[in-house]
Amino acid sequence: MTGRGLRRRLAKALITACATAILAVWAFPIFWAFVVALKSESEVLAFPPSLVFTPTLRNFIDTLVGRFSILPEMGTSLVISLVATLLTITIAVPASYAFARLRLPAGKLLGFYVLATQMLPPVGLVIPYFLILNSVGLLDTYQGMIVVYLTFSLPFAIWLMVSFMEDVPREMEEAAAIDRASRLKTLWYVILPQVRGGIAVTVVFVFLNCWDEFLFAVQLSGNRVRPVTVAMYNFVSVEQTLWAKLSAAALIAMVPMMAIGFAAQRHIVKGLTVGAVKGGGRR
Amino acid sequence: MKGVNRAQASWMKGERLFATALVAPGVIALLVTTTAPLVYLLWTSLHAANLSMPWVKGFVGLDHYVHMLGDGRFWDSLRLTAIYTVTTVVLQVLIGLGLALLVLQIPHGQWLFRLVAILPIVLAPVVVGLFWRTLMLSPSFGLFDIFTTQVFGRSYNWLGDPTLALISVILIHTWQWTAFAFLVLLAGLASIAPDLYEAARIDRAGAFARFRYITLPLIRPAIMIVIIMRAVVALSAFAAIYAATGGGPGTATQILNLYAYQTSFVALDFGYGSAQAVALLILTLAVSAALFRLRRPKGWA
Repeated sequence: MTGRGLRRRLAKALITACATAILAVWAFPIFWAFVVALKSESEVLAFPPSLVFTPTLRNFIDTLVGRFSILPEMGTSLVISLVATLLTITIAVPASYAFARLRLPAGKLLGFYVLATQMLPPVGLVIPYFLILNSVGLLDTYQGMIVVYLTFSLPFAIWLMVSFMEDVPREMEEAAAIDRASRLKTLWYVILPQVRGGIAVTVVFVFLNCWDEFLFAVQLSGNRVRPVTVAMYNFVSVEQTLWAKLSAAALIAMVPMMAIGFAAQRHIVKGLTVGAVKGGGRR
Repeated sequence: MKGVNRAQASWMKGERLFATALVAPGVIALLVTTTAPLVYLLWTSLHAANLSMPWVKGFVGLDHYVHMLGDGRFWDSLRLTAIYTVTTVVLQVLIGLGLALLVLQIPHGQWLFRLVAILPIVLAPVVVGLFWRTLMLSPSFGLFDIFTTQVFGRSYNWLGDPTLALISVILIHTWQWTAFAFLVLLAGLASIAPDLYEAARIDRAGAFARFRYITLPLIRPAIMIVIIMRAVVALSAFAAIYAATGGGPGTATQILNLYAYQTSFVALDFGYGSAQAVALLILTLAVSAALFRLRRPKGWA
């Protein structure tokens, strides 16, 4: 009896150790970036790497308000991501309701179309967009970037919102229909309050995807409109060895994303899984 | 009776109109922002559009596609795309599933795993690529290199050696996205009713039999969704590779996606680059269609 108990406890300990090791592999590079960001540039390149050092906030100050400030680029990313998210939600939410709940002519075909647009390789869009935006003078503008960001956020948001719409109990609409509420009123007063959580999750995901985007950003923006991901990249290609500043800048740009990821944690897991757990009931 | 039918018919007609009105902005926006540019991509791929030779213009038919079939670099990039996609997806599913099974055995602290798993997912791939290129894999100062010089007494050129560079970009992608597979599969596993395992235990089914005959069939749909979603993303992976190796050394990590980018924006041959992008588009649609077909277990409708 005790032998078996011991063996089970040993197995549990082993499992925990294995899982924790993988956890450490995930967390470590981010932790290390934080450590490096607190060092001076000369200390970063010390060999062997110093574990005991006087932490400095110099890099964070420099990349926030100093010579290497990335605040302007963060502002650019914020404007592009916010406007793109707002447009996306406005268009995607009504569409998702029709897909999930209403008799829609050619609904299956249209649903398939939305799904197909989500699978487009971005490089197939960045080439024509470069040529088109160039010829109409919209390269390196907010308008151009926002339109381009709709290409991936719109299909994704419709797809995600459909799964939240499907969770709304049908009785709610039936009750509204008996009360002779108009369809628009039903959508606005009955359905929307039910999917507020879903909309919040969609906002988080769309905003995150826009903020983190790189391919469109590096090719279709430039000096006037430069998103933060491009600023990060330039940091290394221009300032080869300023790792501490790169780390500080990257953390400044990414910590807000981690924060909204954590805040929406429970929902993010649901957002990722909603299609999968249901056995992928998507058309 | 007839009156009721007519009322019902008009109600349904109203519903169809309403539904069409709700969907129209989305579908029109997608037609304008995605389908129209794609048509233009197709058009470009049939024309000479090389900005380094702007005097060569006009319709060239399928010339770019014929050229592509004889282009060794194209086939090489296709080979790299296959290696990159298959290995990253397999690694993500295996490690993600393994970790999810492990974490489910842990009585306390599962929330910590769910929380930490969010970290890599929210990072911009370009930042991940830069982190690895500098802090982790850089010669002499990167942690990996410091580790190998201390332990194995030699330094590896992680991003400078063709084979090691390919392994590196695969590991970078796997590091970032296994968390996605882990979270989806953990939720899938957690939704399996515990009584199924109880029943199997009463029937004296071993741990492996329980996994093979209960867990695997029930988690299969979630695994398929992870495979489909991750394969589509891996086929179009860009930022992390671009930031870590830029497709190099030479063309050692230049998957088709990066080759199409390079042809268009570095060599400025938009015609040929468009043809390569069309090839990637067809490949992506074919792979996802094939995976969608596989999604249903055999014998099901």
